[in-house]
Amino acid sequence: MTVLIAILLLILAVTSLGVVLTREPRRQAIAMGANGLVLGLLFLAFQAPDAAYSEIVIGGLILPLLFMVALSTLRTTGKKK
Amino acid sequence: MSRAVRLIAFFAAALVCLPLILAGLRGLPAFGQHTNPYGDAVNAQGEALRHVTNMVAAVNFDIRGIDTLGEEFILFTAVTGVVMLLRGARGEARSADPSEILHRRREGRSEAVTGLGRWVAPTTLVFGLYVILHGQLTPGGGFQGGVIVAASALLVYFGEGYAAWRLIVHSTALDVLEACGVAIYLVVGLVPLFTGGSYLENVLPLGEVGSMLSGGIIPILNVAVGMAVIGGFCTIALEFLEETRQPKEDDE
Amino acid sequence: MSILPYLVAGWLFLVGLYGIVTSRNYVHAIGCLTVIQSSTYVLLLSVGYRSGLGAPIFSDHPPGPAADPVLQALVLTDIVVGAAVSALLLSLALQLQKKRGSINPDDLQPARD
Repeated sequence: MTVLIAILLLILAVTSLGVVLTREPRRQAIAMGANGLVLGLLFLAFQAPDAAYSEIVIGGLILPLLFMVALSTLRTTGKKK
Repeated sequence: MSRAVRLIAFFAAALVCLPLILAGLRGLPAFGQHTNPYGDAVNAQGEALRHVTNMVAAVNFDIRGIDTLGEEFILFTAVTGVVMLLRGARGEARSADPSEILHRRREGRSEAVTGLGRWVAPTTLVFGLYVILHGQLTPGGGFQGGVIVAASALLVYFGEGYAAWRLIVHSTALDVLEACGVAIYLVVGLVPLFTGGSYLENVLPLGEVGSMLSGGIIPILNVAVGMAVIGGFCTIALEFLEETRQPKEDDE
Repeated sequence: MSILPYLVAGWLFLVGLYGIVTSRNYVHAIGCLTVIQSSTYVLLLSVGYRSGLGAPIFSDHPPGPAADPVLQALVLTDIVVGAAVSALLLSLALQLQKKRGSINPDDLQPARD
């Protein structure tokens, strides 16, 4: 079990770095989705299924989607100027 | 402040704070060895005292129910802020009538996405409702189930496009859902005051361990939070998606 | 091994902060803020973890020692509420783009009027 947690923690360290270093916001939304899924799996390994539920749905689907929608709005308002 | 100055300030601050963070980390209990008397007491007595099998739900909605009330107000305030910022700037009138945007250009979706969406969205909806209703028994509850239901509504948008999404999601209904969720939580907390109890005290019959109506107020609060979360997240998604509409020529 | 989860929590915090400091786009900065939020989740859950014990859910076995439910309750509500707050920040960024025409922090000077 601890090996699993260690591996997931190391993956999380890499994916979070990916979220930060992805400067292009649209790609960052995808990176956030991957980061959210790794976080959800980690919470499952931490014996916290309740937190894993919310993290997988929020981090894996809802937040990336909100960012995508916000970015498409920014693009259309940018065009108007 | 220029970029270089900002970076230098960040690294200087990080250098100063790093030893403090490391010192703080060393003071934490060793990983996996932590014992919190409060959590241990909940684990040992929660089921006997509250007749629920999910101790996280017992903490959230009964033992520390007042904290969750605060969280729910944060959610409510954040959603209200989003609505005020987006709908307020856009004007109430343009978001009122979904029929005018029924002919919005449909983005090219593959039939596989539409077909899969038709299967997955209802399944996700049922699963989300299941998670809300069984929050006191198995992992889950109002917060998680609420976001799963909101995700199922978003799957409709993915599969069917904007017009279908606006047909199933009405902003008035969402406002009512969210306000009722918060109001039920408040009222359930107030009821024990009339019988001489304290706020959010669990005065309802506790029921049988393992049944869906066990736990007194816990299932009711779960449903209330679920309503607030569904309403909140669908409202946020609705307002953001409204923003992506190209304004009509005579709109401004 | 025993300090690795705490180190990762600190790493998430510092990396997210670095991203915000060097960000040229408020939307990117909000994404980095979610990384900082996740550092608190990792810290709280790794404090509450008990090696060799199960989740604090006793639907199929009698109650006994398990992971700390108090910390898990804190994290699970905060994940959902944190997402709503991120949405609020995103809508502020949208307003910024509409009012000032840019979401690059370097382009934005304090309003004079």
